[in-house]
Amino acid sequence: MGFTDEDRVRARAIIDRYPHAKSAMLPLLLLAQDRDGWVTPEAMEEIAVWLGTTPALVLGTCSFYTMLKREPVGDLVVSVCTNIACLVNRGPELLDGLRSRYEGDTAIMVEEVECIAACDRAPAIQINYEYYGPVDTTAAVDIIEQYRSGALQARTISGSSRGAK
Amino acid sequence: MGKFSGFRITIAQVFKPKVTGDYPNSKRPKPERFHGRHVLNRYEDGMEKCIGCELCAGVCPANCIYVRGADNPPDSPVSPGERYGFVYEINYLRCIHCDLCVEACPTEAITETKLFEFSFTNRQDAIYTKSELVVDDQGRAQRQPWELWLGDEDDQTSGWMRATASAGQAEFEGKVGWSGELGVGVRAAEPSQDKTRTAIAPTSEPEEVALG
Amino acid sequence: MSSVPISQWPSEYKYSAPVAGDTEMVNVTIDGVEVQAPRGELLIKVAQDYGTYIPRFCYHERMKPVGMCRMCLVEVEGMRGLQISCATPVVEGMVVTTQSPDVKEAQDGVLEFLLINHPLDCPVCDRGGECPLQDQTLAFGPGESRFVEEKRHFEKPIPISDLVLLDRERCIQCGRCTRFAAEVAGDPLIDFGGRGSSTEVITYPGAPFSSYFSGNVVQICPVGALTARSYRFKARPWDLSAVETSCQSCSVGCRGVLDSASNRLVRFLGVDSEPVNHGWLCDKGRYGYEWVHAKDRLNIPLVARGGGLVPESWPQALELATSVIRDVFDKHGAKAIGVLGGAQGTNEDAYAWARLAKGVIGTDNVDAQLGDGLPAEVVIGMERATIADLDSARAIVLLGPDLKEELPVLYLRVRRAAVDLGVPLVDIGASNTGLTPYAQAVLRHLPGDPEAVTEKLAAALAGQPTRPDELRPLLEAIDKRALIQKEGPVVVVLGRSSVAEAADATVRAAAILAQAGISAKFLSALPTANVHGALDLGLAPGFLPGRVTLAAGRDELAKTWARVPEEQGLGAAKILANAAGGEIKLLVLLNCDPIADFPDGQLAKDALKNVEHVISLNSFTNESMRHADVVFPITVWGEQRGSISNIEGRVARLGRKITPDGSTMEPWRIATELAARLGHEMDLESFTEVQDEIAQVAPAFVGVDSKLISWARDGAVLPVADHAAEITLALSSLDQNKRSAGVSWEPIPTSGEDTPGNGAVPPAVISPPRPAQALYSWAKQAPERTAALADSYSLRLVASRTLYGNDLITTQSPSLARLATVTAQLRVNERERDRLGVADGEVVRVISSRSSIELPLVVDPSVPERVALVAINRDAPGASDLVDINESVTDLRIETLSKPVIKES
Repeated sequence: MGFTDEDRVRARAIIDRYPHAKSAMLPLLLLAQDRDGWVTPEAMEEIAVWLGTTPALVLGTCSFYTMLKREPVGDLVVSVCTNIACLVNRGPELLDGLRSRYEGDTAIMVEEVECIAACDRAPAIQINYEYYGPVDTTAAVDIIEQYRSGALQARTISGSSRGAK
Repeated sequence: MGKFSGFRITIAQVFKPKVTGDYPNSKRPKPERFHGRHVLNRYEDGMEKCIGCELCAGVCPANCIYVRGADNPPDSPVSPGERYGFVYEINYLRCIHCDLCVEACPTEAITETKLFEFSFTNRQDAIYTKSELVVDDQGRAQRQPWELWLGDEDDQTSGWMRATASAGQAEFEGKVGWSGELGVGVRAAEPSQDKTRTAIAPTSEPEEVALG
Repeated sequence: MSSVPISQWPSEYKYSAPVAGDTEMVNVTIDGVEVQAPRGELLIKVAQDYGTYIPRFCYHERMKPVGMCRMCLVEVEGMRGLQISCATPVVEGMVVTTQSPDVKEAQDGVLEFLLINHPLDCPVCDRGGECPLQDQTLAFGPGESRFVEEKRHFEKPIPISDLVLLDRERCIQCGRCTRFAAEVAGDPLIDFGGRGSSTEVITYPGAPFSSYFSGNVVQICPVGALTARSYRFKARPWDLSAVETSCQSCSVGCRGVLDSASNRLVRFLGVDSEPVNHGWLCDKGRYGYEWVHAKDRLNIPLVARGGGLVPESWPQALELATSVIRDVFDKHGAKAIGVLGGAQGTNEDAYAWARLAKGVIGTDNVDAQLGDGLPAEVVIGMERATIADLDSARAIVLLGPDLKEELPVLYLRVRRAAVDLGVPLVDIGASNTGLTPYAQAVLRHLPGDPEAVTEKLAAALAGQPTRPDELRPLLEAIDKRALIQKEGPVVVVLGRSSVAEAADATVRAAAILAQAGISAKFLSALPTANVHGALDLGLAPGFLPGRVTLAAGRDELAKTWARVPEEQGLGAAKILANAAGGEIKLLVLLNCDPIADFPDGQLAKDALKNVEHVISLNSFTNESMRHADVVFPITVWGEQRGSISNIEGRVARLGRKITPDGSTMEPWRIATELAARLGHEMDLESFTEVQDEIAQVAPAFVGVDSKLISWARDGAVLPVADHAAEITLALSSLDQNKRSAGVSWEPIPTSGEDTPGNGAVPPAVISPPRPAQALYSWAKQAPERTAALADSYSLRLVASRTLYGNDLITTQSPSLARLATVTAQLRVNERERDRLGVADGEVVRVISSRSSIELPLVVDPSVPERVALVAINRDAPGASDLVDINESVTDLRIETLSKPVIKES
């Protein structure tokens, strides 16, 4: 899909906000991710041109952040915490349950994450960076399906509420 | 006594026990740290230990070692890892058997045996190449036509490696920090040099000793 | 610099180490020893200067501190915790401890941490034995590791460019390579990807690290993570023997160390020479040593016999050459003999051949420049700048070739001056160069017509009140710069940007700047290796060794030389024209190939076809020697000791590392042999004797004898009387108060036969006498302007060089040959392409007044309209077929071919 002309106008405005063009790298990467659901190589190359730098530097920055996805991840990213509090509250079972439930489903990516600072709600998950917990597999699947059916409105996978999808 | 007085010592010796042996039909045991000619060892699975790093050549005070490494062919590697010793030559007309090469070797590829009785008839024979130095499929040194061995003399190594502890620390004594060899397995640690202690049996598993 | 309040710093202010003398000195106590250092200098540097080596991995003297490795922790009284000395500037009263128990514990911890993931494959690592990580682990490390888990694994070496391989397992993430690429080279094609223990150096897929400076990252990598393809597994460090020398791939004369193993050159590393190269080399210089071992090297003399060139012994070949010279001389006189080339050799070669040609034979038809340079009187007589002057310049004016392509390390110096030191940069030229992005003012003009823009610039720099729009950012930058740099010359980097136009236009522009009253100084940008040495030593018509004219130097030189030519001879173009016309009967080619090198290929071909006799000295066979009577094989760089002069006129040592295969001879020795056979004994038996004779007879070289050349660490800039203060003697360079740190692995220590001998005593003070006579000074007279009219349909040709082309160094070095494009392309901008209505890559007919050839047309957005770019250093058909040396510019007409041919990529 790639950047639209509207995105390019917005990108220009973002770049102008900073004294150094390179400072706009992260907002632009988020813009790209909002557009395509992941940061495509074409987007990185275009951002490099905008910022007067090389794609290598864009890739270098992009690959530092795990929330910037460099391959297609579908519409919903389900992050399951398996750090200490969630571990003792059956986080790993939740992860396995969701993984087997959505195996092969290209629309939903289940990922394991370290502590997401929701220990009071362990085992906790995030669905496009919206917190839920404590949940078991059934409850989690129920919520995910609500998002899928449109009953709940998801944020973008960058976590911004300004939904592109 | 007159003219026989000069033979007194000679005659006296006749009745004393002989100090000469029936060399070469029988030989005296060699000292523990005796340095003979080298062998290039192989791991128990048959891989060569030499990686062609040239440290032996670098440390050799007589400049008698020539080594060239090459990349291991991916489908039929000669040694584990990236490189293997492609050319390995030792000139025994120059070698002074100081054993520095053995100390320098990071993979215990080169060790010295106690074999030393050569009789070369030309210079070419004195230069041992890889085909002469690498141990055979039973892990034994290859006998050259000009070498004189008896029995299992080739089984004996100069053995420094098994006596030296990492950084010379006493607590490493008896701990196996070396790899196994083809046909021999993991050699036992040397008897302790501390006479108050008895010989130490080798531990079953080679113990990993991490170095900084 | 730090005396300027921060509020007044220019916004582009970047960190750069303060220069001693400019700033206030402060007292610092390091391990109980009180020392003085300029305020703001980095602690790690101050400690090193005074003999305390603080271990480090990421810190590099030529780059900004970054504090990534944490190895250089020290204790500073009054500061909480340990400080990284690479990013701590010294201030008054600082008390530092570099070896306390706390520091030792920190160092142990850092090294243990670094070794968690660093593989212990040192025995097969190229760095093993000269590895900073190995050395510093031994010197500062804990000796043992508690880490028993599996280390991280990556695929073993992956190429990040054609020349450099990356072993990610060995990387310790110091960031030296990525910082070099971004800060020094300006080619940020590598960066760190990922994070934590999965951090790795990455290139963007499909965009390799194809910088001209990629080899430097191999040299500065503190582990074996980056290795050079050409050196990989070639030798172990303890196999190497080294000699310090100067690079001869271009005329910057970068200092370096040449390593050999088993009489084969295996590596060339940069040496940090403050006035020249700061330790950097370009890839051509770094990997260009390979050509010395090319299998086609000539190693026996050849003579013409039976319609071909056949091997012959040296005595026979020398006899034959002597009889050819004598024969032509007797029948037609000295003027029938022309000598071309000599710009690739040493100063000794140049002097001996100048003496043979001018002092023995008596011809002044001698030219080291093959129509690709500037008039000798400009180069010899202009007021010269040094490379170091770039750093303190009021402004730098680029009036010459693309430095990135022709003098890459000078490009780094100019870029550093512009980017790090804030020196304003002006780019005058017909098309974009590598430095255009850094210029405050970009003045474009049609090829061959730089006067108008130069006049405007000169007026503005001279303080004319009106400020033209295109110069406003420049003048503002100069004003801003004046806050921290009051005085300074305007340094004009002067060279030949295109051989498709006559040099006159460039000379006129230079004259405008020289006469503008802006204290302009000139830095020559002629790229051929030792062209400046050759010109200084008399391989130019009208000049004698030592920057004097025939008339001025005659009396003095006649004491040593048998004769001195009466009248000025011809330059290369006229020599070739006369050879083609039959007036010149003998051409001597000193390591040159006019058919490939002369801009007007047709003239060169005609000349070598028509001339009766050719004597050629070369290391390879070439087209120009096809009809030679005698070909002498010569020793080359790495095989021959001597000296060269670089763009500044700096005389520096060349070292010998290997003995050549076969029987080759130094060109200067061939000259003495021929002279002796011609009945004139030169009495020169060694290169030092040649150097001493030069110091005696050549006015500009007064004081530069073999002793000074062997002791001056960075060489000596001519005339020495003006630059004596800049000379550092090799062993006396250590200040009494500053002990050497001794254990530093940077800069590279040097050894070998050229290191001054044991027991020898360096000259105490350098105070050479002024030259007995005034050196030649350029009269700044501009040549007549010849109007060049062009019709609106034509494109004007710019024929410039690229770094890799069809030159010997590139084509005969396997590493570089892969990078070179040897077919010519016509580069135009998009609008010209559309006007022609052809596809990108389509072959078109290119017609000049000289001939018509077919070339593929390629779109290059950096080329301005009405300009076409064809690289000159390409195989035929190419630019040299189009250029007519008698025309002031080369205008082209482009025709489409009926049948389009799509170029294969």
